[in-house]
Amino acid sequence: MPTMLDPSVLDTSLFVPDLRTRRKESVFQELVARAREAGAVREAELLVETLCLRERLGSTAIGKAVSVPHARSIAVIEPRMLVARSRRGIDWKAEDALPVQLVFLVITPGEFTIEAHLDWVARAVTCARLQKNRARLLDAATAEAGALVLREVTA
Amino acid sequence: MNEAVDLLRLHDLDLIEAELTDARARARMKRLGLSMERLAPLTRARAACLETAERRWLYHYERSNQRYGRGLVAVRDRVCQGCHITLPTSRMPNAAGALTLCEFCCRVLYWA
Repeated sequence: MPTMLDPSVLDTSLFVPDLRTRRKESVFQELVARAREAGAVREAELLVETLCLRERLGSTAIGKAVSVPHARSIAVIEPRMLVARSRRGIDWKAEDALPVQLVFLVITPGEFTIEAHLDWVARAVTCARLQKNRARLLDAATAEAGALVLREVTA
Repeated sequence: MNEAVDLLRLHDLDLIEAELTDARARARMKRLGLSMERLAPLTRARAACLETAERRWLYHYERSNQRYGRGLVAVRDRVCQGCHITLPTSRMPNAAGALTLCEFCCRVLYWA
């Protein structure tokens, strides 16, 4: 069971520079579709359902316009971290009431232990809590630039 | 997939429940700012799955869940991801998304 973080499996091309939707469920659908295209997901619908349910148990917004939705699911083939940016912001029911502009989606396969899964989540949260990282991701001009920032901050 | 969908859903719900019942995981999630406070939606979703899932798969799923902590695993490259034993080609189902039983560990297998 993998408990160490392997940087080689962080697909930094999975950066969505401009989310058009303002609904959480649509955000999940868009990101999960991307992960499916990248071969990381086998049952997109189930994964979206799991992410939505988790959101109903407690908001994944961590404040400062960032949310870290995450799921450990049989629908996932390979672990992935996807980052999406919304210029307008999405209402995510954050404690600080700020609309979410950066979404860090963390998905891991069901075979992962809870610890291994939370290692991935912790990595996303650590990255998102640094103001410098958030600013760089928000300012990235293109998807390639965003991916490059993501590669640096998660390395 | 149709036959499997309720069991797959149940499996994912049980993974969330496992995180909620693990004190260390809960504490870590709280530190990360990702606490889960409302449990009612999980209980409701689980009850709905138990009603609609096929009895025979549910029986094997719960039995393996009690024994190993996980009752359903995916098959990757003909290898059971629970016991990591290569399954014989004769046990491969005809359609993707089917469920079978691992003849070595008896977990429910999901052939994606």
